Parts: sequence; structure tokens; C-alpha cells
Amino acid sequence: MTLPREWRTRIALVLAVVGPGFITANVDNDAGGIATYSVAGAQFGYTLLWTMIPITIALVIVQEMSSRMGAVTGKGLSDLIREEFGLRATFLLMIALVVTNFGNVASEFAGIASSFEVWNASQYAVVRIAASKYVVVPIAALVVWGVVVHGTYNSVEKVFLSASAFYICYIVSGVLAHPDWKAAALSTVTRPESAGFRNYGYLSMIIGLAGTTIAPWMQFYLQASIVEKGVTARQYKASRLDVIVGCVFAAVVAWFIVVACAATLHTAGMYDIKDGVQAAEALRPLAGEYAYLLFAAGLFNASLFAACILPISTAYAVCEGLGLESGLDKRFEEAPAFYWLYTALIVFGAGVVLIPQFPLFRVMVLSQVVNGVLLPFVLIFVILLVNDRELMGSYVNSRWYNVVSWLTVGIMIALTIAMAIAQARS
Amino acid sequence: MSLVALSELLGATVRDATGTVRGRVREIAVAPQDHPTRIAFLIVRTADGERILPVESLKNAGVTVRAHTEAADWEVYTPSDGVLLLKRDLLDQQIIDVHGRKVVRVNDVELETTPVNSHVMLDVVSVDVGARGAIRRLSKGLMPSFTLRALLERIPPRVIPWQFVDLIETDPARRVKLKIAYRGLAQLHPADIADIVEDLPPAEREAVFETIDEEVAAETLEELDPDVKVAIVESLDKDRAADIVEEMDPDAAADLLDELPEEQSGEILKEMDPEERQEVTQLLEFGEHTAAGRMTTEFVAVPDTASVDDAIDALKTFEGSREALATIYLTGAGQKLMGAVPLVKIAISPPTRRLAELSEEFVACAPDTPQSEVAALFDKYNLITLAVVDEHGRLAGIITADDVITMLRHSH
Repeated sequence: MTLPREWRTRIALVLAVVGPGFITANVDNDAGGIATYSVAGAQFGYTLLWTMIPITIALVIVQEMSSRMGAVTGKGLSDLIREEFGLRATFLLMIALVVTNFGNVASEFAGIASSFEVWNASQYAVVRIAASKYVVVPIAALVVWGVVVHGTYNSVEKVFLSASAFYICYIVSGVLAHPDWKAAALSTVTRPESAGFRNYGYLSMIIGLAGTTIAPWMQFYLQASIVEKGVTARQYKASRLDVIVGCVFAAVVAWFIVVACAATLHTAGMYDIKDGVQAAEALRPLAGEYAYLLFAAGLFNASLFAACILPISTAYAVCEGLGLESGLDKRFEEAPAFYWLYTALIVFGAGVVLIPQFPLFRVMVLSQVVNGVLLPFVLIFVILLVNDRELMGSYVNSRWYNVVSWLTVGIMIALTIAMAIAQARS
Repeated sequence: MSLVALSELLGATVRDATGTVRGRVREIAVAPQDHPTRIAFLIVRTADGERILPVESLKNAGVTVRAHTEAADWEVYTPSDGVLLLKRDLLDQQIIDVHGRKVVRVNDVELETTPVNSHVMLDVVSVDVGARGAIRRLSKGLMPSFTLRALLERIPPRVIPWQFVDLIETDPARRVKLKIAYRGLAQLHPADIADIVEDLPPAEREAVFETIDEEVAAETLEELDPDVKVAIVESLDKDRAADIVEEMDPDAAADLLDELPEEQSGEILKEMDPEERQEVTQLLEFGEHTAAGRMTTEFVAVPDTASVDDAIDALKTFEGSREALATIYLTGAGQKLMGAVPLVKIAISPPTRRLAELSEEFVACAPDTPQSEVAALFDKYNLITLAVVDEHGRLAGIITADDVITMLRHSH
């Protein structure tokens, strides 16, 4: 009789940890994430692995601040920015967020298109047509729109989340590829060579890695989820654990994607990944000829998951910040701006992918670089708000925390400037 | 009389009696103890600190502000809790639009200037929550003010008159000083108040529940989402929570206390009136998903020997919910259920008629009947109320149709 109860406690514990923090971190490994990590590993081998530890620390700190703010104030990030910094700052930031997230949404649909690419070479015309992006992307867009608007999202979320177990494939594949463990471990902890910092490709890849791992939409989404779940300052400790576990899991997966790609693609001399078929090669040690199938299924799931979350969370953030009616419980006429913005993000995000010869993989990576450029600005607001004693009371940042977070902002800005200079030179 | 927007006044240059520019407007203050809408003073940022410019010294207030006193006479500003600062407390904040029954964000505030004798008076007339206020603020300083005014004329206004605005202040001490009472809010239907409350952050929710009347608070609580309901009661002071729970229908109160942590529900029960406490404790002992867990113990029952007149007297003194009035129950010796008379029959019968003659075939169920069967009974017999009878045939309570609708909605 004791066994079931013990199991129930265990399951309850696991479910308690799978909260907003874990979900956000998982969605973080979306189409843009997989593409960026793959390209980083293929192009630069193990040499970018040193970024993973600082990025993970920054990710944990940033996400922790957002969830703490949500729990203490009970308000969303855009609400707080509006109340403390006024309409103009909010408006500019919201425009930037819409533009950036438009890129992210496009990259999710590019991910969906990319996951069907292998069948584009099929010998059967029916398969070629059914798998072409002109069929797949519009259907996916309709599914996303419907699932969210008709409130079935909550049940679908669990499906997406379980399917995220696919990431474990990268860990297994990474091991099976017999990477140079010593080199990988060493380059994770050693200081990078300074020569790389003058190279545009190297710099933009670092910004892309940081931007995809610590994406600006995550702060808005996580804080909103914490508020939505009704977490209060008293129950906050459990949420903090949820955030840390989620971030570390996301970072471990990212590390293995880079290692798997470095050990397979980079070693084989495939430095420049142009499509999903090539990126899938990283899974060959595990799945052999089925590598592409596995990659496609995982990419498809990750893209669709993020495509469900990004447009709706953007619409919420923007409408709440600007004081427009929002919420799926409202009718279209009651909250027109909310529904139009949501619909437009999906229609145009999916629409650009349909342009013939659209460079799917390049856009997935590029959108993450844009994330990295916007990131420091969002962080500045987050840090200022979380240190406001009137708002946070005794829950303001400690000094050590502030040092790390300001350092993150400084480094991201410095990298962005360095990238701009490197680009101007080349 | 003319209208001026808060965003136009903020940052406007201030000239004193000599015509010299002395500073810029930083804040505009209302002192609600003195007058609910009138501006008491402007705070002016001058070269030597922040000064108070009383509204009585204003010659005009617009794109530039002119005073008829010397800058040297303006007092130094010291912060105080008792004044409402329009920029800090209103601009960009959330307010309750009582008329539109929702929570909205303030884009701008409209003030009216009225000349009196030698100075002008300034009054808050409405808050702007639409595109006009937003565009005015976004484009301020980016184009000449007359062009902007002409452009804004074309945008239809979305304003809320000041009397329909309820401010939300979370600090109780300050709330008293500012005379914020949520009078407008309390007059809305509890279901509307519940919708508004669900849109507010936790601290603001608590603030509303601390100030509105207990009876209204109780009815509103019943309409709220279960999670929100529990969170609010947990955040309230135990005395206050007990006062509100006492006003709730016993069945709803029992449901609520059942969802609270045991320690807290115990504390609330301790603070409650003994009679109400007993009813609720009884209900708590049954499972939540049974007839007894769903029933209310507040119903109208008269002896089976009574007349129509007696029933009407019983109705007059009944304090429970209106839904429970639909049927009058007849009880015999030892509270045994003998009959049921629909309210309609009482309304159309002569006062001396014996109720036993009007009684209809009635449906009853046992306290441990599962709620799904309760719903089935309502459906089968088209009931409005259902009697719950214990093993001795005594009337223990009744279930009303509105409880069944809530129950069905929550089980899906």
C-alpha cells in the first residue's frame, strides 16, 4: 500500500518541477536554437564551446529575475515597463519586440518547412507536392492559429513537452559519434583565442548563440506564465528550482548539439550547413540512415511548439504594455488589436517562408542574431525594475547578482558593436 | 472654459509674475480631502529645487503656465502621502472603468480650466484610455503643438468621465488619506466585479476585497474562478475573511474552506459566528462531490399544518439566497419532509388555503448521492430545487439549479 503513495509523491515532485521555467527553457531550443547550435558546431567545431558556461549562468540569472518579478509583483514584464518607464519607452520596446519576434516566428515556420525538405527529392510527385513548403507551411499556420484560439493549447502542450524528449537523441548521438571528449571538455573551460573576435562570422555566431539561448521573448513569456499560474512570493522557492533545472537542461542539450555536429559535420569537412538534410547528418551515428527522419520529427515538434507560443505571447505582451484589450476569453470585436496582431504574426511569419528560394536555414540563424541585439535593451529594463525597492521590497537583487547581470548587458552590447564594426570592414 | 491634457501641462514652462521663466511643471496634485476633482497645486522644478505653485496663483495653464506670484514666494515641496499625484498615481497605471465594467490603462488625463476672478481653476474631468491620448504623448515634441492638436481633433476620443473612475491603491493607509472607497465598483453586479477582479494583479485584488462591503464581497467571491478565490481569501486578514465567509451561502462557504489549507480554514472558522460556523462545519463533513457537499442549509420550511399566509410570513423573514425561494418545503414532526409547494402556487392561492392541499409530488435524494446523479435528477424532473433528506427522512438541505449549473461547468 505504501508504494503507490510513494510513487504519487514522486510524480507530483516531477510535475512540480515541470513548471513555467522548464517549459520556457524547452521552447528555447526551437528551430532557431537547433539551427544555430548545429551551424556553430559544424562551422567552428569545438571552438565555441567556451561560450556555453557563461551563457548558461546568464540565462539562469535572467530567467530567475523575470520569474521573481512575476511572483512578487503579480504583473507582466510589459505592464511593469509601462508603469515605471511610461508610454514612449514601452512603445519603442514593443516595436522592437514585434520585429524580433516576427523573425522568430518566421524561423519557426522555416523550421517546419525544413523538416519536410528530404521528401522534396522524392521520386513520387505526390510526395513532393505534399511535402513542399507551399502545402506544409500554410497547414501548420492554420493548425497553430486554431489550436491557440480554440483553447485546446493546454492539452496540446503536454504532447509537445513529451515530444521534446527528442533532444536526448542529440546526447546519445553525441556519445556515439566518438567525439574528442578531451578537446570538447577543454574548450568548454578554457579562454578563447582572441584572434576570432576580429572575425565577423565568429562574432555574429557568439551573438546568435547568446541570442537564441537567452531570447528576449523568454523574459516576457516566463514572467507572464508565473503570473498566470498565480505563484506568489511565498511559493517562489519551488519556481526558482524549476527555472534552474530548465535552464541547465536546455544548456546541456545545446552543448551536445554543438558537440554532435562538431564530431560529425565539422570532422567530415561539412562546415557550411544550408539545409535540414545536412544538419541531420549529426544524428547519423545514432540513427544511421534514419537520421534524417529523427531530425525532421524533432525539428518539426520544436518548431510547432514554439510557433504556438511566440505569436500569442507577443500579442499579450504588446497589448498589455500599450493598454489594449487582450485575452483569448474576449471576442474578436472586443479585442481587435490583440487578434489582428496575433493573426498578422502568423500570416506574415508563415508568408515570408513561402517566398521561392527562401534561405530557410540562414534565416533561422539570422533571427537569433537579432534576438541577441535586442537582448541587452530588455535586460536593462529587467535589471532596473528588479532593483526597484518600491516594487520588489526585500526581493531586490543582491550586489553579486547585479554585477553578473550588468556584465551580461555590457558584454552583449560590446559584442553587438564589435559585430557591426567587423561587418563594416568586410 | 477649455480642456488641457495632463501630458501637455507636464514639462510646460512656468513664468512668474515678472514674466521670467522659472522652471517646468513636474507634477500636478489633487488633495482629495479638500476637493475630489480640483487641482490643489502644481509641482514646479526650478533652478533651486522643487517648488509648490498653488492653483490660486495661476493666471493661465496651457502650453505655458503663468503665475501672478513671484517665484521667491513659492514654497519648497515636501512629499506627502495625502495627495494624489496625477503623473505618478494615474498616468500609465491601471484603473477600473466602472461604467464600462473593466480594467483599463490610463493614456492621458483631461483637465478643465475655468477662470474665476483673478485666477484659473483646474479640475480633472476625465481620463483618456484611447488612441488620442496615446498619440498625443508619443508625438509630443516631435511636431509643432498646433499641428498635433489639429491631428488629434480627427481621432475619436475614448475617455472615461472622472466620476466613473475607481483608482486602485494597495497601501491601506494611503487609501484612507486619498478617500478611495470603490463606491462605483461596489454598485456593479457581483459577476461584473468578479470579471474586473480577475483582471487585476494580486495586491490590487486584495485592496478591492479589503474595502468593498462584506455582502458584495461574499457574492463576488462566489463568482470567481476557484484558484483566484482561494488566493484572495488566503491573502486577507483572518477577521476580514471570516466576515466575508459568513455572508456567503453555506454551501459555497464550505466549498471554499475545503480548498484552503486546513490551518487557515480552521482559523477562519474560529473567527466566524457560532451559528454560521456550525452550518458550514456540517457541510464540510460531507464529500465535496456529493449532494450534501453541494446543498445549502438555508431554505424555507414551514409546518405541514401551515396556511398560505404563514408561508408568506416565512418568506418575509428569510435571509438566504433568492434561488432558494423557488420552493417552500413542508415538514412534519421531527423535521420530517412531508411536501413541497412551488412559489407560484402560493402567489395565486387565497391566504387561508392550507399548504398541504397545494403540495405536489416531490423529488428528494440522500446526502451521499454523487453530484452526477444530482444533475441527472434535475434534468429528468426539470427541477428548480431538490430536497436532500437524511436516513430518518429529515430535510437536511436543498440544492438549487444555479449550483447544478456551476457544478456542471466545473466538471468539464
